[in-house]
Amino acid sequence: MDVFSILVSKTIVYAIPLLLGALAGMFSERSGIINIALEGIMVFGSLFAALFLTRGIMDSALAESHPQFVVFLAILVAGLSGGVYSLLLGFAAIKLKANQVISGTALNIFAPAFAILLAYSVISLGVSSIRLPRGIVMNPEVFGLEIAEMPRWLYTMVFSSLYLTTPISILILIISFIALYKTKFGLRLRACGEHPQAADSVGINVTRMRYIGVFISGILAGIGGLAFAMANGSNHEPDVLGYGFLALAVMIFGNWKPFKILFGALFFSLFKTIAVFAATLSFLPSFGLEKVDYLYKTLPYIITLVVLAFTSKKSRAPKAEGIPYDPGQR
Amino acid sequence: MFNFKFFKKSTSTKQKGDKDKEYAFLSAVLSILVGLLVAGLLLFVLELAAAESDFSKPLLGIQKYFTYSFTSSTTFTKIFYNAAPLMLTGLAVGFAFKAGLFNIGATGQYTFGAFFALVAAILWQAPWWAALLLSIVAGAIWGVIPGLFKAFFNINEVITSIMLNWAGLYLANLLFYNLTKMHTVLPNRTDNLTFVNPKAILPDFGLNELFNTSYINIGIIIAIVVAVLIYIVLEKTVFGYEIKACGSNRNASLYAGIKTKATIIYTMLISGGLAGLAGGIVYLAGTVEFTVESNLLAMGFNGIPVALLAYSNPLSIIATSIFIGFLESSGSGLQGLYSYEMTSVILSVIIYFSAFALIVGHFIKKILKRKKDREEALLEDEETIVEQEDEKDIEQTEDEQLNEKGVVK
Repeated sequence: MDVFSILVSKTIVYAIPLLLGALAGMFSERSGIINIALEGIMVFGSLFAALFLTRGIMDSALAESHPQFVVFLAILVAGLSGGVYSLLLGFAAIKLKANQVISGTALNIFAPAFAILLAYSVISLGVSSIRLPRGIVMNPEVFGLEIAEMPRWLYTMVFSSLYLTTPISILILIISFIALYKTKFGLRLRACGEHPQAADSVGINVTRMRYIGVFISGILAGIGGLAFAMANGSNHEPDVLGYGFLALAVMIFGNWKPFKILFGALFFSLFKTIAVFAATLSFLPSFGLEKVDYLYKTLPYIITLVVLAFTSKKSRAPKAEGIPYDPGQR
Repeated sequence: MFNFKFFKKSTSTKQKGDKDKEYAFLSAVLSILVGLLVAGLLLFVLELAAAESDFSKPLLGIQKYFTYSFTSSTTFTKIFYNAAPLMLTGLAVGFAFKAGLFNIGATGQYTFGAFFALVAAILWQAPWWAALLLSIVAGAIWGVIPGLFKAFFNINEVITSIMLNWAGLYLANLLFYNLTKMHTVLPNRTDNLTFVNPKAILPDFGLNELFNTSYINIGIIIAIVVAVLIYIVLEKTVFGYEIKACGSNRNASLYAGIKTKATIIYTMLISGGLAGLAGGIVYLAGTVEFTVESNLLAMGFNGIPVALLAYSNPLSIIATSIFIGFLESSGSGLQGLYSYEMTSVILSVIIYFSAFALIVGHFIKKILKRKKDREEALLEDEETIVEQEDEKDIEQTEDEQLNEKGVVK
């Protein structure tokens, strides 16, 4: 039972950055911009949120009395820094009509290097990872529950790694769905990703919509970065271990639709978690191999490939993604 | 398989890309300058914060960054030692770019190539050239998979090759742990080639002893030869023409009878082989051992700026890889903030600007042309007022000539 509880808890906590990252990619691509820079934006968001938490506020009286409010502020910081960073992609891709994949790659290379240099300069030389404060995890006390009263498996499953990012990202998921499919804004955004010329002809400002799409994407990816740092043992690292790219795969797997993305994120997260615990899970076969956990670590990626191959027929990417908007082509 | 038949380019079919070439060099230089400037500025600010506003320290550091490579024969030869794999990964990325593919999976192919070169060298006691051949094959196998996925399922090669990067890294680690004869001394590091199989080390013709370093080998020569070969394939053969046609318009080339699926697959095969060869060259130099890594190796990613700066031209890649080899040689030996990360910052800013440098180049051209036109128009106005009507005919012909020049430029 304990193993099962840990698996559930870890699957959820690792699914959150994937979910946020994939939603981020969705907003950008639905507006017509391929956001391959998710990885870098996640690092950026995580970096500033971690600095905010450790340097800015955690010793103050506010943190003593309302730790979750401080975490909420950190989420805002992560989102804002991610959003601002993503505007660099927007500027290159929308205003200057640059190759979106290449400018995204540049942002991906810049962010980890910058995260290391800033940590060297602000914290101390040679220290690039930032330990998040202990108080950010959501204890049962936050909900007015007693730890002693509940069974251990329930505590492990729900509270052992529950952070404020989890409920907030569920909220974001619902809002994303409503915004994309039930509002005027969503319709316009999707139009810009499908046929910007047509959108322009009915008076939609394509440039503005695309900037908004990229900015929302940056905000979500920034929060996703913080969520990754929390999942990663409450530790900010100048690297999100390919989660930004994995999120893109989840987005394609989810066919650019919010709730399918949730399913995809949980699916991949489950396999990742199994790989992490492969050494301790006795029911997994070892095939007579040394360090068999490396075999299980390849599984999420191999399965992604296979799933992508099988779903490619149904896959429907926004038609105008990756193509700079040229009003002359109307 | 490949149509390596040579063809003669007629002068009338000058491609649209030729116009860009004039501005390619200018934009590359522009990107590099801006990259250095931004990185220098960033370094300056960060270092000032760390050094408590002592102005001399950042300046000294920046100066050190650019002179470090010339302080000893080791650091100097390291430029070319770094440049060889960079050139090959750059060629891998650039070659795929020509077909309109973004091979971000070069790092996985590089890892695979490196690992199997060592398998050949240590387990099978193969000579260096056989190990290099195996590294090409291993890289090609890992590279062709994204090509197959692209051709048959139309899945973006960026996603598949990223998946394969991680899968390749973990697979190499798994194989490493299970081939216990490769690491008899240390648990997570392959045995040094000097002791296990000296004939697998790339030959240096005694130059290392002469210059008192260990970073000279024929890797750079192999890389340059390969670059020239790739240039010939791309520019002088039918296969190269098909690749470029496929890159500029897949549907049109399909319509013209080019087998685009096959072209994509072959391109990724060759691209992967190049990246694999880069891995072989690094790990057969005898200076580094394969270690169990938990993160992707940076070398494959550094091929991207090499290719971008050179606009994927194989001959220009020779130059840009030496430049970036210089940056890496400078960065790796320094301490504190002037570390390897600084090189990454410079590279990322360079890539960012090179992504739209061509467009900025065109923009500058447009502004210059507009300015010139306006000046000409002004001149014309003044002259027409002053001069007589009968001279107007001559003037017009002059103007036409000027205009023609303007258009050409």
